[in-house]
Amino acid sequence: MSEAPLKAIEVLEHLEKLGGIAFVKQIEEKGLAHSAIMRSILFLEENNHIKKYESKKDLFILTKRGKEAVKDGLPERNLIRGFNGKNKMSFSELKIKNVGVALAQAKKLNLISIGSNKTFELTKSGKNLINNKSAEEIALKNIENGKIRKDVLKNLLERGLIENKVQKTIKISILPAGKELLKKGIIKTITSLDSKLIRSRDWKKVKFRAYNVKDPVKIPIIGKKHVISDAIEYVRNIWLEMGFKEMTGPMLDTNFWVFDALYQPQDHPARDMQDTLFMKIPSKGRLPSKELVNAVKNAHETGGDTQSTGWGYKWNLEFAKKCILRTHTTSLSARTLAQLRKDVKENNLPAKYFSVGRTFRNETLDWKHLIEFHQTDGIVVGESVNFRQFLFYLRRYFQKLGFQKVRFRPAYFPYTEMSTEIEVFHPVHKKWLELGGAGMFRPEVVKPLLGKDIPVLAWGPGFERILMVQYELNDIRKLYNNDLKESRERVLWGAKCLR
Amino acid sequence: MPTITITLDDLNQLSGADFTLNELKEHLPMIGSCWESEVGNEFVLELFPNRPDMLSLEGLARAFSSFMNIKTGLRKYIAKDSKFEINVDPKVKKIRPYIVSCVVKNVEFNDRLIRSIMQLQEKLHMTHCRKRRKCAIGVYDLDQIKFPLKYTTKSKNTKFIPLDENKEFTFENTLKKTQKGKDYAGILENLKEYPCLIDSKNKILSLIPILNSNNTKITENTQNILIEATATDEKTALQALNIIATSFADHYSDLYKVKINYGNKKITTPNLEVSKIKVKLEYINKLLGMNFSKEEIKILLNKMGLGISKKSIANELEVLIPCYRTDIMHSMDVVEDIAIAYRYNNFESEPPEIATIGEENPLEVFTRNVRHLMIGQGLQEVVTFILSNKEKLFKKLNSNEEKLAEIENPKTREYCVVRNKLLPSLLEVLSNNTHNEYPQNIFEIGDIIELDSKEETMSKTVRKLAVCLSHKDTNFSEIKGILESLFLNLGLSKYSIKQLERTHYIPGRSAKLEINGKVIGEFGEIHPQVLNNWNIEMPVSSLEINFSELFKILNKD
Repeated sequence: MSEAPLKAIEVLEHLEKLGGIAFVKQIEEKGLAHSAIMRSILFLEENNHIKKYESKKDLFILTKRGKEAVKDGLPERNLIRGFNGKNKMSFSELKIKNVGVALAQAKKLNLISIGSNKTFELTKSGKNLINNKSAEEIALKNIENGKIRKDVLKNLLERGLIENKVQKTIKISILPAGKELLKKGIIKTITSLDSKLIRSRDWKKVKFRAYNVKDPVKIPIIGKKHVISDAIEYVRNIWLEMGFKEMTGPMLDTNFWVFDALYQPQDHPARDMQDTLFMKIPSKGRLPSKELVNAVKNAHETGGDTQSTGWGYKWNLEFAKKCILRTHTTSLSARTLAQLRKDVKENNLPAKYFSVGRTFRNETLDWKHLIEFHQTDGIVVGESVNFRQFLFYLRRYFQKLGFQKVRFRPAYFPYTEMSTEIEVFHPVHKKWLELGGAGMFRPEVVKPLLGKDIPVLAWGPGFERILMVQYELNDIRKLYNNDLKESRERVLWGAKCLR
Repeated sequence: MPTITITLDDLNQLSGADFTLNELKEHLPMIGSCWESEVGNEFVLELFPNRPDMLSLEGLARAFSSFMNIKTGLRKYIAKDSKFEINVDPKVKKIRPYIVSCVVKNVEFNDRLIRSIMQLQEKLHMTHCRKRRKCAIGVYDLDQIKFPLKYTTKSKNTKFIPLDENKEFTFENTLKKTQKGKDYAGILENLKEYPCLIDSKNKILSLIPILNSNNTKITENTQNILIEATATDEKTALQALNIIATSFADHYSDLYKVKINYGNKKITTPNLEVSKIKVKLEYINKLLGMNFSKEEIKILLNKMGLGISKKSIANELEVLIPCYRTDIMHSMDVVEDIAIAYRYNNFESEPPEIATIGEENPLEVFTRNVRHLMIGQGLQEVVTFILSNKEKLFKKLNSNEEKLAEIENPKTREYCVVRNKLLPSLLEVLSNNTHNEYPQNIFEIGDIIELDSKEETMSKTVRKLAVCLSHKDTNFSEIKGILESLFLNLGLSKYSIKQLERTHYIPGRSAKLEINGKVIGEFGEIHPQVLNNWNIEMPVSSLEINFSELFKILNKD
């Protein structure tokens, strides 16, 4: 199909030059293949560029045998030649090719008579032929243009010397649309652009075939971020925009940093609550400086120098060394506070930190529980920070995640006061969703780690829950099952979160 | 966390109010609880471990009526002097050294009060008392008891009729055959004699901390009761006693003191004194970002059932704390009460005037950049679990076990170790996707844990990059192309690729990657046996690089 339109323009050009009306044969003489012209005519006619006229006539042409007869003579002519001027010949004297066929034909035409002893004698008609051509011979010579007697024609056909062929003659004439097409200078319509067209500037002369834009196409398999990474990148940006620095640390940590440093008593239900995964290998880790460990121990036992009563129990050093998989990334906040000790001395506060990391709970994996999930922690450390600023950061964070209505419910965590459970209103589901805990770190946490009781805002909401709600998943495991079909078809988090 | 079940009518009657269920649903969470569910007029509320005093209908009504401005201010409770006495045998010292007690008279028991007290006792046991290990509470019909009592130990063969039984059990059989016995026998493990409370007639009142005797059982006819709490920590016991005693007092019963005689030391319980804590006005306002006056603070404190003593001076308040509050350890706890009374959602946000510069961890920046590059190579990112098992990490890879981080108390065998490589996680993804369209070209930049005794945690978190290509034409050249494209984009040209033999690759079709003489990765065509192990029926070529190490190398240059 791509070839036809190209040739069609050429056909049209020739037609114009031939005066606007011409036989196909005339166009063929200009050097175009018959088949290409016929395809072009089909196209041009369909598009009303030309009008086509067809006529038919009977045509007789020489068969292979006919052509031989023209070249070598008809069998009867050969026989007459074989008589060599005599009137009478015996069979043995006749030295010609295909003598049998020649004799049979001559007899049929009454050119010879057969005598006794296999002798053949020319008849009157036979003699007449010696110096004159037969009607058949004349007809064969002029077969292509001459008018031929019906009986001769019949005879030639019967003898297989000629055959009948119906000839179709096509004549075409240019129509106004065709003239218009030529005027525009467009020489062809193409399907696809190629380098040759670009290089030659011939694209200026072509017309691009229009597509049916509604035709279905195959959706390609592409590379894509996982929905969790997608959300993590989004959340990291929120904190970075608000001027938070990133904190990192180990997933496998000691009880000390995950619980003790956060003033969680070693026998407190809060520790049962979190269903910790304890390590067999490595079983125990090393604790930080004695000064720090003692400060934490004193805070637990008596309050130490934090002006608290403490929990009032005997703190177990060995238990604090126990290795576990962190149940929250708040362990990173604790580690960061300890590192900020020198900044307090050097007056480098305030400071703001965030983290996004994997956390672990000893759950049984089911539709609403994961053993591993993610949490984003944040702390703001500074003499001037307060509860109203705390509310500002969290409201802003959740607004950026697409939740305009945020509320705070009093809650309980051993390491915070003004402990709150953050709830956001889901505009579609029309209900409040719990998204995680937050508060201001207690002096029993801050003083031992930082060396000074300075207000610290702290939070640690998770976000698998948000993903579950936004993607309307009925099974939280779907976030981690990596079904490639689902991954390929899943809407981007960035697009989802703005709805 | 503990939940309690309460009916609307009961709460209204005790609060002296006329709340609707919707009002409760709206306001109760704002005092520090979580609305669980409701059926008819009955609702379930989850409470937090810092407020065991709200675990009873009485305590909750008390807190809520203050919070809702119906009856605000400090509530004082009095226990009258009496001659009731409990002698403590030194034998208990090493087992469960402390006992505290209180007598309550003129109790108008009805079904509701019995249920409320039983619920309170049960919830206290589960939380404040650490499943009875730290503390256990007993309640008895006073009129069946002859004073003075004795807190002692007795042999396992001692007999009594446990609560709700109709025949005698030995102590030992009580542990073996009753439900409560089975539940809590662990606390008495390895003891020769069991702690118990007996009266002056040597009658067994209870096997501590398991079951009371049946003949001191509380019924609707009971008028006077004895409450005791034994504990390993005296403070815990005193707090539990106060919480129960005040619940009775809220029903206009009279409380009487009990003398506890330790031989060398005598104390009297309960102690219903108000305690005091000093809080600076400036401290409150600074933490909350408010400008409350002393009078405003007083109103807010009263809504939480706290008071202010007349000794308070202009800038420093002496806050009075009722005897049932166990959670106030620091002046910050008082600040929280003020914030709750004001209601968190009434605070206006304050944009902080803190200018700090945001900063990402460079490894995370690198991770993101490479993630985007791998996606540019047309690979689908996967995120998988870090926890795994040895079957996946070694057996299915046809390789020998290596030492790695193992969990002591896994709930399931499926997740009992921490992975030390990413490849098995990716093979698992391919194995779960055999029904989906190919090519399946995936990658993960994820964390693993390596044991390392030089580290404080005896291990370190290491980030790795792994790629798996799976389709009919994948091969060594293709995966090598991915690697070299990565290195080209990282400007890394000094690396060498050497032949490597590993059981999970097709022999002769795997290589290791070295930089500065250090192996930092490997790649190759996965062995068909491994593919069979995972039921994968498409060729896979893979790559795994120590991403943390790569990052270090790039930063050195």
